[in-house]
Amino acid sequence: MNRKHLSLLFASTAVTTLSAQDGTLVSDTHYGLLTEYCLKCHDDVEMKGDINLDHYSIDWTSEDQRKLWSNALHMLEDGLMPPEDEDQPTAEERAELVTWLDENLLDNTEIGGTLPRRLSKEEYRSTIRDLFDLPDYELPLGFPRDSEYHGFNNVGEGLVLSPPLMEAYARVGELIADTIYPPEQETPPSTIRTAGPEDMVISFSASTVRDDALLLVSRGHEIFRSCSWPSRMEIMASGTYRITVSAAKHKPISDEPMQLEVRARELSASDRSRAEVFRLLKVIEVPSESPTTVTFEADLYEGQTLLFRWANAEMAHDYSKFAEHMRQWFERDARWLAAWQHAVFPNGDFTKIRTSVIRGRSGWEIITKALADPNLDMTHATMDSELTVKLLELADSNTGMFNLADVLCHYYFTNGPAMEFHEATIEGPLKMVDGPREMLAKRLQNHFTGTRRAGQSDEAFTREILEKFLPRAFRRPVDPQTVESYLEIAKRRWVQGGDFDAAMHLLIRNILISPRFLYRLVRPGELDDYDLATRLSYFLTQSPPDDQLLKLAHAGKLSKPDILLREATRLLPKDPSNAMVQSFTGQWLDTNLLPEIMPDAVFKFSEAEIALAEQEVEHFFTEMLTQNLPMTDFIDPDFHYTTLAFARDNYQYTPQNVTSNTSSGMMGGSELRKLPLERGGRFGGLLTQSAVMTATANGVDTQPVLRGVWVLENILGKHPPDPPKNVPALTPDTTGTTNPREMLAAHTGEAACAGCHNLIDPVGFMLENYDPVGNWRELWPKIDVPIDSSATLYDGTPINDITDFKAWLVDNIDLFSQNLSEKLMTYATGRVPNHAEKHEIKKIVQENQKNGDGFQDLVLALITSETFLTK
Amino acid sequence: MNSLSSLFERHTIGRRHFLRAAGAMIALPALESIAAPVAKFASVTKAKNLVSIGAYLGWHQNGFFPKEVGRGYTLPTTLQPLATHQNDFTVFSGLDHRAPNGHNAWSNFLCGNAPKAYSMDQMVADQIGQKSRFPSVQLTAGTGEGSKAMSFTKQGIGLPMIQRPSVFYKQLFMSESDKARMEYMLRSGRSSLDLVLEDALRLQKAVPRNDGEKLEEYFDSMRSVEKRMERQITQINDPLPTTDYKLPDSDPITPNLLIEAEVLMYDLMTLAIETDSSRVLSFFIDGLGQVFSFDGRPLRSGYHGLSHHGNDPEMIRDLLAIETAHIHCLNGFLDQLSDKKRPDGKSLLDETIILVGTGMGDASRHSNANLPTLVAGGGFKHGSHIAIDSSKPDAPLLGDLYITLMQRLGVETNDFSNANRNLNHLFS
Repeated sequence: MNRKHLSLLFASTAVTTLSAQDGTLVSDTHYGLLTEYCLKCHDDVEMKGDINLDHYSIDWTSEDQRKLWSNALHMLEDGLMPPEDEDQPTAEERAELVTWLDENLLDNTEIGGTLPRRLSKEEYRSTIRDLFDLPDYELPLGFPRDSEYHGFNNVGEGLVLSPPLMEAYARVGELIADTIYPPEQETPPSTIRTAGPEDMVISFSASTVRDDALLLVSRGHEIFRSCSWPSRMEIMASGTYRITVSAAKHKPISDEPMQLEVRARELSASDRSRAEVFRLLKVIEVPSESPTTVTFEADLYEGQTLLFRWANAEMAHDYSKFAEHMRQWFERDARWLAAWQHAVFPNGDFTKIRTSVIRGRSGWEIITKALADPNLDMTHATMDSELTVKLLELADSNTGMFNLADVLCHYYFTNGPAMEFHEATIEGPLKMVDGPREMLAKRLQNHFTGTRRAGQSDEAFTREILEKFLPRAFRRPVDPQTVESYLEIAKRRWVQGGDFDAAMHLLIRNILISPRFLYRLVRPGELDDYDLATRLSYFLTQSPPDDQLLKLAHAGKLSKPDILLREATRLLPKDPSNAMVQSFTGQWLDTNLLPEIMPDAVFKFSEAEIALAEQEVEHFFTEMLTQNLPMTDFIDPDFHYTTLAFARDNYQYTPQNVTSNTSSGMMGGSELRKLPLERGGRFGGLLTQSAVMTATANGVDTQPVLRGVWVLENILGKHPPDPPKNVPALTPDTTGTTNPREMLAAHTGEAACAGCHNLIDPVGFMLENYDPVGNWRELWPKIDVPIDSSATLYDGTPINDITDFKAWLVDNIDLFSQNLSEKLMTYATGRVPNHAEKHEIKKIVQENQKNGDGFQDLVLALITSETFLTK
Repeated sequence: MNSLSSLFERHTIGRRHFLRAAGAMIALPALESIAAPVAKFASVTKAKNLVSIGAYLGWHQNGFFPKEVGRGYTLPTTLQPLATHQNDFTVFSGLDHRAPNGHNAWSNFLCGNAPKAYSMDQMVADQIGQKSRFPSVQLTAGTGEGSKAMSFTKQGIGLPMIQRPSVFYKQLFMSESDKARMEYMLRSGRSSLDLVLEDALRLQKAVPRNDGEKLEEYFDSMRSVEKRMERQITQINDPLPTTDYKLPDSDPITPNLLIEAEVLMYDLMTLAIETDSSRVLSFFIDGLGQVFSFDGRPLRSGYHGLSHHGNDPEMIRDLLAIETAHIHCLNGFLDQLSDKKRPDGKSLLDETIILVGTGMGDASRHSNANLPTLVAGGGFKHGSHIAIDSSKPDAPLLGDLYITLMQRLGVETNDFSNANRNLNHLFS
């Protein structure tokens, strides 16, 4: 109904209409203001952006109406409406409208309203780990991902359950049931299988075949650098086997026996595994150059094969030893040194390393040729020459060591000493044994069922199991009717001829697809202590409630404020590996995008640095939380939390920043640590951390609008509406002829655009000083024009650069605190805070500010809020 | 190169004697029932199967791209094993997705400009896959460590790949005990579902209306699971194809047996196509540090090491020996597909598009531009080398070729990733 048309009607009709739609009459003052500033575009005829604000009365109890007006309120508050080229309300008029909307929304909004939500993918995984005592459990590859809603993947509205996901749940249920109660396997007949040198895996330079024998020369840790194993001798059933191995010394240089290690490796394990992780079966003493044959019995498990390594080889792919090994050799033999120099630095130029070509035998052939060359250049073959120093440095470096050691293997293949492997035979299974699968299954069965009492029937035992397990799986007490309905599943199985295990298998499959398991908060009534335990636990640990929480819930004590506070403090993340820290920061700051971003090579930002950048955020957040640091430290802290090398390479950090008394031991080290920092600089604080700057760019170039919007939404909590659909995307000018600033000005020149862009662009341009990986830059790339980062913020504050912006943010820290609190609350409750909840959060933020503004205090206050405690 | 491929044949394939699928007998359960929909489908589009083959370490460009353009080109080194099929395939140069460089972006092969986006084979599978038992199949030779996944769902989820030929074989030709197990899982799951649903309904009735409405998602999804189970239960006694094809008693899953694994997977893919078990297959050829031996001669370096050849001619020679071995296996696949005929006289090759490519244009430089690409079969006019000048501003993209392939398979689309044209004018 709308007033313009109503003016033609009689008053009595208007009254009838009013009561019929149960609304509150819009006062003349407010309607007047709306008419003057809003209805030109947003009446029921124009309906620009599908927004109709032309109402004679408003039904504040309608959620749709509240959403509409809440949106209008934000546009007014943030100054986004009316558009720049329209008449603007005076400050008083704006305030009048804001207060009117705010009060009505507050009066008519109740705290609460989270929908039942299924577990997110991460929660689901941790829940399975917890429930079945499978701490390393990973979901199968290809398990569907959650979609984001308001920036988080665990909000009720966003957690849709679809048929493919239900299929995946059912599949996981089957896999878990199979893990606990494995399907029966047939006993294979005993066989004899033999592997000669030709049947062995040759990986990199770990082994080679000479004169019908396989040679092994390295005792390196990684199996693909030192070991060999049969390609086709996979054990199909766990059992005891008779193993016969034949080996001999090859060109020995001492009388000491050579030792051949025999281990059991999983054929499907990565070839990058370390030999030590595989079970040692036997060390065979090989005393002479004629083959020794040894027979022994050992247990081999399904999927395994034998793994061979020469345990006391001279040569090792080992950091601590390899460079020293080479140095001694160089000292003994100058021609050897010269040949290596020639191979690695072909032109005598140590800036051009030929590591790619010198891989494996190829490198060895270059060296052999050089050694045979009477004209071999000996000029640099002294221990103090720069080439020698560089060569030894390379031998002590990550890839260099492996490449050079791989080449050296071929020296030993040619000259010895080496271990000759001739043949291995496996006969069996002589008898069946429990393999890892059966042992795991027994442990898990015991965890699932507990112990049966003497004389207890299947039915009684199963009822007992369900009475214990269902409340844990469903995270709350379970009524007898539910227990009986699951018991019925087992009983039916038995009637159809299944045994006890078959019934357990079936129960597990079914419990894992029950809505009581898959959903949180699905039950009648208000949030009770059990729901609270679940909410608190998933919020702070991403896992289901532990025994202590459930016990407190059972006693009805958890919602008592002091107990809740104590439990929240107990569960608060203590270190950066905490699932909540990783999940929340990743989603809040979009740093979970990092693994997908591949910075262009020009930025020299390695995968290791991307990982460090992500860790920095997690460490920083944890430090803020555990140390209860003031909220302003999120913006302008007196520390970095990263490695010194990372800070130096990316944050212009010099050890001079380090005050004298802490400087000892600050150099080097690959561990992330707290590095002291002067406040007020270009770096320091969330905003300019590499992870954030990288996540808000695309690895190639920066887009001021995207970063601007990111800061508004994730730091300031302002949500500029999406651009109209008919606006073309802002494509960066790759020819590099236009200044980005001019380009954007042309793009957003229209008044309709200016409203939002006045908010977005200043922040975006201020961050242009940070390249796509967050390194400082003064010039725009390609055009080499100095970056102009000066701007006027939406409240009229002029800023020159990031340091001004940080100072402004510190002065307006309540904006940030409010926003972070709302994000935390969204993550914790699974709903986006409504108008009333935002009000409560605002009060908490203000109260906290008066009391030191500590981050931990804030989180705890949020947990004890009515918003948190309401369904 | 001839000598190398014959060596290869004698010593790698010849050494183990497999029953090649070409000679293997299969028994189709109900020939007419399969023939009918095929014929109907074939009248609308020209091809019905898609096999996408991607090599992780790429194809050395000088060994893959012919020197001459158009028809009658001289077969380059890597492609020489395909001599008898020269008119059954087309080579493309100058195409790529303008995707980022590096191993990390390898999945651009089927995903286009944005690695790990909805891949072309899955787009096809979502359209035509339901017509067969397995809407799509993902296979790998080697561990699949390289890329983890080659096919990605609409949601961007990387699909796991089957590494063991025996696992794929068991899916295609279920043994009696596998079948009994599957039947048990289906029947027991189906009958207990009622009790779970009863409990769920009780729960739904007890909660407020809003919450109950949210739970409708659960019931809808469960109904779909239930329907799938029922469909499978009614089909459980449908006769499945059988074969006398036998696998070796041990799966070639160690990296050095990569080539052997390829041969088996091609055999099984032929059987899958012949029995119409799946119409969309993708096959990943991994590459790690494994050292291959041809004729008892170990190559100079591991596969990955060779791919970083630094233009060393001997390294390149050994790299090409491996790549030629891959193509040799492909040739065996093309032989089988062209030998096998449907009742209407058309060969399996005519109805199958085979896309051979990679996400890495030049492994030595980790560049993902100019991706070596080859298309065989599918009823296209073949025999040419189509060279695209990618320096031209409006040069076609690899995605344009994919649009052409998808259209041939009956997928109505004019878009793929960053491409929105097609190559129909050059290739039809």
